[in-house]
Amino acid sequence: MRLKFDEELNNLNREMILMGSMCEDAINTAICALIKGDPEGHKNVSAIVTEISHKEREIEDMCLKLLMQQQPVATDLRTISSALKMVSDLERIGDQSDDIAEIVSMQNVSDADDKYEILDLGQASSRMVTGAVDAFVKRDEKAARAVIKEDDTVDDYFDKIKKELAKSIQTDETGLEKTLDLLMISKYFERIGDHAVNIAQWVIFSVTGILEGNTK
Amino acid sequence: MTRQIFKHMLILITVALLVAFTAVLGILYSYFGVVQEGQVKAEAKLAAQAVEAEGISYLENLDPDTTRVTLVASDGQVIYDSEADASTLENHADRPEIKEALVSGEGMSTRFSGTLLKSFVYCAERLSDGTVLRIAEPRDTALNIAAGMVPFVLMLLIILMVCMWFAARRVAARITEPLNRLDLDHPMENDEYEEISPLLKRIYAQQKQIADEKGRLVRIERDFTAVTQHMAEGLILLDEEGRVLNMNNKAGKLLNAGDVYIGMDILALERREKFREILAGALEEGEHGEAILPYDRLSYQVDVTPVMDGKKVIGTVVLLFDVTERETAEQMRREFTANVSHELKTPLHTISGCAEMLESGGVRPEDQKKFVHLIYTQVQRMITLVQDILYISHLDEGAVDMSCSRIDMCLMADKVIESLSQEAEKKHVGVSLDSDGEVIYYGVARLTESIIFNLIDNAIKYNKEGGEVHVRLRAAAHTITLQVSDNGIGIPEEDQTRIFERFYRVDKSRSREIGGTGLGLAIVKHAAMLQNAQIRLDSQPGRGSTFTVVFPEKATDEAEAAV
Repeated sequence: MRLKFDEELNNLNREMILMGSMCEDAINTAICALIKGDPEGHKNVSAIVTEISHKEREIEDMCLKLLMQQQPVATDLRTISSALKMVSDLERIGDQSDDIAEIVSMQNVSDADDKYEILDLGQASSRMVTGAVDAFVKRDEKAARAVIKEDDTVDDYFDKIKKELAKSIQTDETGLEKTLDLLMISKYFERIGDHAVNIAQWVIFSVTGILEGNTK
Repeated sequence: MTRQIFKHMLILITVALLVAFTAVLGILYSYFGVVQEGQVKAEAKLAAQAVEAEGISYLENLDPDTTRVTLVASDGQVIYDSEADASTLENHADRPEIKEALVSGEGMSTRFSGTLLKSFVYCAERLSDGTVLRIAEPRDTALNIAAGMVPFVLMLLIILMVCMWFAARRVAARITEPLNRLDLDHPMENDEYEEISPLLKRIYAQQKQIADEKGRLVRIERDFTAVTQHMAEGLILLDEEGRVLNMNNKAGKLLNAGDVYIGMDILALERREKFREILAGALEEGEHGEAILPYDRLSYQVDVTPVMDGKKVIGTVVLLFDVTERETAEQMRREFTANVSHELKTPLHTISGCAEMLESGGVRPEDQKKFVHLIYTQVQRMITLVQDILYISHLDEGAVDMSCSRIDMCLMADKVIESLSQEAEKKHVGVSLDSDGEVIYYGVARLTESIIFNLIDNAIKYNKEGGEVHVRLRAAAHTITLQVSDNGIGIPEEDQTRIFERFYRVDKSRSREIGGTGLGLAIVKHAAMLQNAQIRLDSQPGRGSTFTVVFPEKATDEAEAAV
């Protein structure tokens, strides 16, 4: 019985890693599409996101089954319950990557020359997702805290971009749609960062048993 | 052991008891038979006398308990019987004891009575009136005697069993104690029992075999570990679930595995999409897979090979090896081809365009010369380019004549400056040569010349209007130093490592007007490398660059030996 439980926990862990890496793929594909201004990128991201949604259901099923059948306690309970919470954040990350790729596919931003700041923001949030998944995989509290800290960088980037975009609206009214799209993309990246922070917090919870509130 | 001994003792004792019991029973049975016969005879005699004296009434008053008394008339008719109604009884004349008594006055017999279903001892006595009196007593059967003895025998058996249990334990302890004390590490040094020496010999042989086998395994494992831990490639062994069985140092370093990795899911260490795909292919389909993955700026080829047992995958071997060089070389080759085609195409476009205009007659006669000149310069450009490409590919293939000769570097530099004087004048760049008299180097003249030429050529080309170029030659104890410095546009720091690459241009937009093929420094690098010379670059954007080439003495030694 116990042996089976351990095996199922291992499976859960593996599925979580898979889902985490799918999210990394999704956000990186979205960033790639943004760099190249490639409308085809949206298809690729959508395909990954569909898979991510399936994985989410699968993992939820697994977690619920484990909770009901094995009635885990202590660390195991924390692992399973935080996995249950983490998948929703991971799924959101996938969705937002999809949204970004969708905006890119509308071709309003493909010739934007001020994308570089946004790319920095995107890369920072992608780093956060990778860091969060890494922290989960290695059960590394320190790595999780680093992710939470990096959120400040992402927020700074976002504030800066927002101000610049506001300025560009005042000076140049022709590219309004482009500016709004860029703002949306930035916001999605910023949200992805927040989800990564949530994941990191759940990692800390599953390691230490202490659930820290949102620091902001 | 105790149980075994006990069991055997029990069987032995039980058999002995049974034999003794049967023997005793046999003896007792016949003894009791004789005694009883005597008794019955005496009783019959007494009864006969009493009947003679008192008549049949005696018999009727007699209270028979176990004894059966029968009075039979001389014709065999039963007159009286103590246990049954006389009239119902059959004629007794044919009974052996009665027959005998009628003849000899007294008869004995022992037989099974059909009437009472028992064995009886009969004794008949003829009375004076011719009737026969018979006394019958039930015979003690062997079973009766045995039944009487059984409780005693059983009790005896129980007592014996208890004794035997203790005895067996003692015996077992006595036998096993020396066995337990055997020194099995040195089985041949024991001499407790001669009986177990074959066993000891076998143990000894097996121990030797085990020790040999163990030694062999340890050696194999040591060799394996030594080989895997020191190999430049990363090696990971996975089980059928994709968990790490083992990995070598290199793989651990690449995957940042830390100390505890055995039993870890490999996806926890490496989860990139490409790797996931080939791993799934190996674990689920049993297919070999490979991919190129970057690790810390280096490219590694990852080979995943399933280990099969029949059709089932029982594990996977993952091999990681560095293919950075191959990848870069490949990329360089690709870039080189693309660059060569591009560089060749540009002048061809100009030439083709001019020629077309001339052919169609759309050029005014006074402009014709200009067009022809354009064609001429572009063709010249192509010729230099093709020459440079050929030269560099010669260098690549090592097809250059490497014979060394005595070179006066000053003279050579002087000649080069002379040949470039026109270019320098055009840009108003002053070129000066500074050396400590004669600087002699033993080396490959053509290579050395191309180094000097290209460096000075670049220093003039990438200079500002009215700039300065200083060529310095210094002969030290073991080295000769060539230094070409200018106060031109300089090279930005991020480009400094790349300028020796083929066709690399710092300022791509201006390269066309400056001319040059983009191969100059690549040739310098190659030529220096072939002569073991070191190139150093110090440059600051806007302030100028200094290229320093240090030719080693070693080349000189070899050259002298050759001369």
